[in-house]
Amino acid sequence: MTRFLDNVAMALGTLRANPLRSLLTLLGIVIGAGTVVAMMSLTEGLRLKVTTDFAMLGPGTFQVQKWPAPGTFGHRDWRKYEQRRPITREQGEGLRGLPHVRLVSIEEYPNRPEIVATREKATRRNVEVGGVLPDYLEANGVAIADGRFITDGDVALGRRVVVLGPDVADLLFPGRSPLGEEVRLRGVPFEVIGVGQRQGSILGLRSKDAWAMMPWPAYEVAFGRNANNNVALVANTPEDMPKAIDEVVTRLRRLRGLSPGDENDFDYYTNESATETLDQLISMIGAATFGVCALALLVGGIGIMNIMLVSVTERTREIGVRKALGARRGRILAQFLFEAVTLSALGGLLGVLLGAGVAVGLREVMSVPTSIPAWAVLLSLFTACGAGLLFGIYPAARASRLDPVEAMRTE
Amino acid sequence: MTDTHEPLISIDRLARHYFVGGETVRALDGVSFDIRHGEWVAIVGQSGSGKSTLMNLLGCLDTATSGTYRLNGADVETLSDDQLADLRNKEIGFVFQTFQLLPRASALANVELPLIYRGVSRKERRATAEQALRSVGLANRMHHRPNELSGGQRQRVAIARALVGEPSLLLADEPTGNLDSQTGEEIVRLFGELNARGHTIILVTHEPRLAARCPRAIKLMDGRVLGDGPGAEVAALQGPRAVGT
Ligand SMILES: Nc1ncnc2c1ncn2[C@@H]1O[C@H](COP(=O)(O)OP(=O)(O)O)[C@@H](O)[C@H]1O
Ligand SMILES: [Mg+2]
Repeated sequence: MTRFLDNVAMALGTLRANPLRSLLTLLGIVIGAGTVVAMMSLTEGLRLKVTTDFAMLGPGTFQVQKWPAPGTFGHRDWRKYEQRRPITREQGEGLRGLPHVRLVSIEEYPNRPEIVATREKATRRNVEVGGVLPDYLEANGVAIADGRFITDGDVALGRRVVVLGPDVADLLFPGRSPLGEEVRLRGVPFEVIGVGQRQGSILGLRSKDAWAMMPWPAYEVAFGRNANNNVALVANTPEDMPKAIDEVVTRLRRLRGLSPGDENDFDYYTNESATETLDQLISMIGAATFGVCALALLVGGIGIMNIMLVSVTERTREIGVRKALGARRGRILAQFLFEAVTLSALGGLLGVLLGAGVAVGLREVMSVPTSIPAWAVLLSLFTACGAGLLFGIYPAARASRLDPVEAMRTE
Repeated sequence: MTDTHEPLISIDRLARHYFVGGETVRALDGVSFDIRHGEWVAIVGQSGSGKSTLMNLLGCLDTATSGTYRLNGADVETLSDDQLADLRNKEIGFVFQTFQLLPRASALANVELPLIYRGVSRKERRATAEQALRSVGLANRMHHRPNELSGGQRQRVAIARALVGEPSLLLADEPTGNLDSQTGEEIVRLFGELNARGHTIILVTHEPRLAARCPRAIKLMDGRVLGDGPGAEVAALQGPRAVGT
């Protein structure tokens, strides 16, 4: 313990003797560690945000539709998917009764966002509307804040009712309950029966709360029939999902009259597949960051080696005196290694503080989602110390091998 | 424990040759003598006669080309680097001509150095070093750095550092060389006191005047012993070459 404290005291003594030079040398390490922390905070924040924001479906839920998951197909493939036959309401109904499928939510959408209006006010053309069944609620992980959702009765009786997303409700009925009020979609009046709970936005860009859902028969009165349907399916349990997907794919192929050799003419996706591409992108950013940091740490390490070599040269006489007075080789080695590690640990610490500062700054000032992962902080500190240790070995070994008589003779 | 009849230092035909550019410099060329516990011996000789080379060997800072050196009964030639470091740490106190104090460290920290390498605890180290500085009359200069001290005071710090570990042997290479004559005189008096208290002292000097004041002197010339006896007699010896020229 005494020895450890002695080494710390000696290392800090050198730092104090040359604060500016030490700091400049540490720049590489500071930048390396800082970049790791800042970039990892950013990607971690994005990742968390992506997995919550893009979770459009409830747990254990998957969706079949004629289009593949967004982001998985290129522009050139568009025609191929466009030409696929629509998934009809009847095919959707045909998916009921499978052993591992609990709910079937058949959803009908127009081709673009719509406007919802009252006599006084109207939204912009940014409301996602749809004609749905009661199962929509659970399959899409939506909750009701006020009123109720669509029931089987609403569907059977063709009631002209609508459930509004909170953005729409707030805009059209600021400060009061919209329940029982009338709104118009494409000129057709609907009675508001419920308001959904707020879900936030996708990466702060696109609101998930601008929607209006109607029972599908009423929807078709306003929007006409869209032959193409999305079908969201909920497995009995999330663990049953692979089996449920198998059953659905087999049944749907039969319903669509595909022969055994034919390719599927529909796609299915889960929450995971929706975020997969983004996850890949984030991983690539992470890998690139690692490259940058490895380089910065290498440069930083060489900086450490350089300053330590200078330090050994400058202190040749001191080393000679220490050896003359009884310092063993190992002690001199340890002293200089310790100094290199202290130096680089300090650089790592500064870097972490800097990186964390950038991450917090981005979050607080520019509301970029960042989250500082503990492992990135530890990784930065460890690699910084590692660089110090690695690049400190050579100068320290050189110091420890100095001949005391020669060393004391140098000026 | 140490046999009381065994001398502290026993060297036999000790030689140290340097090989420089294909030539052999016989800095020390077969030197033999014993030094007993409690002696005060001057090693005297002209510049280049091999005094520093001898002192480095006696101080275990350097190893001989040939010959034997026994210190406190131990064969120095057989020891490893680390064992030599330990030996220097415990048995030898150095006073160098150019003080060799660490410039950034206080007097106290400088004096603590040998104790650091002996693994003494911080508290004990401090107390022992303060005691050593008091004994050389620097009680009120402990926290000064070397550049805040006079030459004589620096040499006292160096002496305190040499004494702090209570070594068997005090080795001083030209300890008055960088001091004015009055300050040099003080340092020599201090050595006298230390010797009276029982310390074994080897004082390396090129000044016959200084050697004459030591009870015993060994005179070197061209790496060989020219004379060994009472300080006053040996100091007066003239080498054959000096006579001839
Ligand atoms: N490291 C060395 N390499 C080569 N020659 C040396 C070295 N050290 C000392 N010498 C030579 O050895 C001789 C004795 O030197 P030294 O012991 O320093 O004498 P002194 O201390 O009596 O002046 C001198 O001729 C000197 O040039
Ligand atoms: Mg000399």
